Parts: sequence; C-alpha cells; structure tokens
Amino acid sequence: MATTTATITLSSTDLLSDEVALTTTATLTGHNTSTGVLAAIGLSRVTISDTSETTIFDASAYTDDKAHKIYIKNTETTASYSFLVKVGGTELGTLYAGDWMFAPWNADTTGTDCDVTITPSNSGMTAEYMAFID
Amino acid sequence: MATTTAAVTLTSDLLSDAMSVTASTTCMKAGTSADGLDQLEYAVVEIATGDEYDLICTTPTASKASKLFVKNHSIDETYYVAITQNAQAIGRLYGGDWMFIPADFHDAAADIAITSNGGTNKIEYTLFHEGTVLTTT
Repeated sequence: MATTTATITLSSTDLLSDEVALTTTATLTGHNTSTGVLAAIGLSRVTISDTSETTIFDASAYTDDKAHKIYIKNTETTASYSFLVKVGGTELGTLYAGDWMFAPWNADTTGTDCDVTITPSNSGMTAEYMAFID
Repeated sequence: MATTTAAVTLTSDLLSDAMSVTASTTCMKAGTSADGLDQLEYAVVEIATGDEYDLICTTPTASKASKLFVKNHSIDETYYVAITQNAQAIGRLYGGDWMFIPADFHDAAADIAITSNGGTNKIEYTLFHEGTVLTTT
C-alpha cells in the first residue's frame, strides 16, 4: 500500500503571550478504509494569461463522495496578487501571494458539480496544484 | 506585527520515485506584506453523529485573508465530518485528517458548517483572522 502523508506546522512566537507551535501529520486514506489513497494528480503549474476563472479540478472526472484531497498554492510574490478559490461556484476564500491551501474534496456531482476553480486578480499569475485521489 | 507561519509537507510513495512537496507562508492580512494576521479563535468540540453546526460562531470581517485550520481527532476510519460552505459540499474530513484553507466569509451565509458522520467526532479548529463582529449582549 502506498503511503501518503500531509504534515502541517503552524507557529508563532508573538501572536499570543505564549508561543504557538502546532504540528500534525495525516496519513491520507480512502473512504471508510485504512488503505491509502490510490493516485496523485500533478504537481501541476499553470500561468493564467488573463483574469478569467479557470477550472483546475473537474468533479465529473472523479468518483464523488470519496476522500480526495487537494493542494493549491499561489506562487506570486506581490502581496496584492491573489487567487479567489471557488468550490462548486461558492467562494471558499482568497489565496494571497505565497499562500497555500490543503483541503478535503468529495468531487460531489449530485447537485452543482463540485468543480474547483481559481480566478486570478491580475493577468499572468501562476498557481501550483495537485490532488490525491481516493 | 504578529508573525504566524503555516508550513506544509506532502510526501508519497505512490509514484515510481519518492515525492515531496513543501510550502510555507507567513499569514498576512489581505493584500499586504507588512502586517500579519493578529487575532485567532481556537476550540475543541465533540459533535454527535448526525448533528450539523456552523464551525465559526461569529462573523470574521468579510473578504479578508482569514485562514482556517480544522483537524478531526477521531481514530475510527469510518468516522468523518462533512464540510460545507453555504450548503455547498466541500469535502469529507476523516479521522486524523486536517485541512487548512483560506476563508473569506464573503457574506452572512458563508459560514463553514460541519456534519458529523459515523459516530461522535472530536474536532479541533483554529481561525486566524483580522477582525470579527462580536455579538452584542
């Protein structure tokens, strides 16, 4: 069985009066099983020439209601350059320069397709993304 | 300025060669490199199976650079919480899984909700934000 892990470290020495230091690791497994996720898509890198909304994960291409995970990073360095991330047409949040996200994704297609899209604030912006597929 | 760093490492032997992806970001307020996120909300809650709750009780200032970390502490592989935003399915967080996402709470309906499945799920979450509307007594 392939083993895929995701580790996050959140740290700050001055946000609170005491230090914040949190590290946790998840071993990515499938729906209702301890078997690891079965596939990886990417790592991909895309530069969007304009400011149009771009689909990076198409829900109809995957089995829905599974334990997929997605990773997206805004590779830009100009602070105001951002990507608006939507899931199924609903705004999730904004990734500013250097920001990344890691989220579960069930590729739901029972209502609105749960496609993941990114919309750059400026033309010529670059993002990286990948998915782990159950 | 508060400095909060979020780093991720993804590793896998799914491929013919070992894969490792790392990234690190300093959590800044929206559109600036001069001022970091300086407020947070932290909680650990247990949610009985079938129950659905908004994870965030107050409304962080909309369209900002808030970041939300959520971890499911359940150890049973059949337990998970379904994550939705404004009734839109996002994904399922199984036992041991975590997520870290931008959350801009662009309107009053944009709360992130979780529904517990399989059994009682113990959920830890931290919201890093830059302002919130507190409930008046």
